[in-house]
Amino acid sequence: MNSYDHYISSMHRIGRITGIIALFFIVGVPALTCWKFGIFPPIGNLLAGLGSILVVFVPIAFIEVMMYTPMAGVGGSYLLFVTGNLTNLRIPALIMCLESAQVQSTTEEGEIISTIAIAASALTTTIIIGLGVILLVPLTPILQDPTLKPAFDNILPALFGALGVAWMGSSTSGFSQWRVAVVPGILAIAVILVMGGHAGKFIGILIPGMGAISILAARILYKRGWITTDASHAKQ
Amino acid sequence: MKDYLNVANSSFLAVLGGLVFLFILSQSTLFLLKAWRRGVHAGIDKEKLKAAIRQSVIFSIIPSLPILISLVAMAPVLGIYFPWIRLSIIGSAPYELMAADVGAKSMGVTGLGAEGYTAAVFANSMWIMSLGIVWGLVIVIFFLNRIQGTISKAKKKDAGWVPIMIGALFAGLLSVFLADVIAPSILQLFADEVGKPVLGLPVLLVSAVSMGFFGILIKKFKMNRLQDFALSFSMVFGMASAVLISL
Repeated sequence: MNSYDHYISSMHRIGRITGIIALFFIVGVPALTCWKFGIFPPIGNLLAGLGSILVVFVPIAFIEVMMYTPMAGVGGSYLLFVTGNLTNLRIPALIMCLESAQVQSTTEEGEIISTIAIAASALTTTIIIGLGVILLVPLTPILQDPTLKPAFDNILPALFGALGVAWMGSSTSGFSQWRVAVVPGILAIAVILVMGGHAGKFIGILIPGMGAISILAARILYKRGWITTDASHAKQ
Repeated sequence: MKDYLNVANSSFLAVLGGLVFLFILSQSTLFLLKAWRRGVHAGIDKEKLKAAIRQSVIFSIIPSLPILISLVAMAPVLGIYFPWIRLSIIGSAPYELMAADVGAKSMGVTGLGAEGYTAAVFANSMWIMSLGIVWGLVIVIFFLNRIQGTISKAKKKDAGWVPIMIGALFAGLLSVFLADVIAPSILQLFADEVGKPVLGLPVLLVSAVSMGFFGILIKKFKMNRLQDFALSFSMVFGMASAVLISL
């Protein structure tokens, strides 16, 4: 085992240990609260409610893992699924850092930059939310200011407009990245038009759906030689 | 004050929130240090590693603000500390409110904070919010090893394809967010009546053009310091355009 393999297996070990501790925290909070205050919801009602959530969220969890762990690498994935905020924060942060460092995600350097980007992003969000709890009273009027509302309502168009341009104009991953965005881009617009103009709550299903279509389209383009990378040149 | 809010705003939950806060900080710091050490060991330029930290921190500030807004929105119905905990580990505001509501309804209460929303109903909401969201983490703990193993094998078999596949995954994500902004504007173009201006498209265009402009400054004029701020500034310009249009 070389030293990089050793690093990866130690990341898996730490990821699992800290992941299990996170699970204890997640379950421990309601458990300890019930114990402390002597309040126990009837188990039948709890299971009935939980069942209706699990039917939807277990499949979504499975799809999210398939979609985002290849992007985030080993260390990044463990952090990603503890700290959440995948599409609005962590994935954009890591894409931006990889682009800026001109590093491919599948390399050792990419693995390390991804972990660093996700960890730094998680630290920032956690500290901001912590400060928010302390400063809730003075912050509330600013955060709910009606003048600023359109700005906060449009954070995602602002984020993906800028990141989209940077990513599509680049070839950090070893190929002209805009080429893989054409088919899913046109299809996604068509699908959302058919849906009446808004993805709404179906966005969680649309993203992996488009991810799958995007892979399929890229595969065809790759096989036909319309997208090539340095490695595929070397192979030929 | 409703009785469940005595539980929801108790110092006990505040302490638990503090512990969760410290845990997340420790875990992220641990991963950061491990990756940093490995990076240095592997001969990656320290400046490159520092730049990744700096850029990720600066970028993450603005997209973290909506999380604060949702915290403010959740506090009156669920107290301050439990939403804090939920939003720090995995959670997101739409999910939390929905799961909490399911917790109320499965106890026969019409909604959050409604008549009959007692401490026991609040506890039910807590359980459902917590147990509903852990599954991604559970799958990662048990199966990430295998998933990454499969990717490594694919890389050995066809090194050209794997980066394209990962790029295609991100393109799928990107296309949905862009289409969700572009599609409503297309519809409005063909609508009979003039409705409220759709802000998404101008915001998207302003931030995209700004980013393109920063890209030129960085590449052509070697203004490398802008690299750290380009994405955040572009976002602020886009968001500011939404405010200006709405005035």
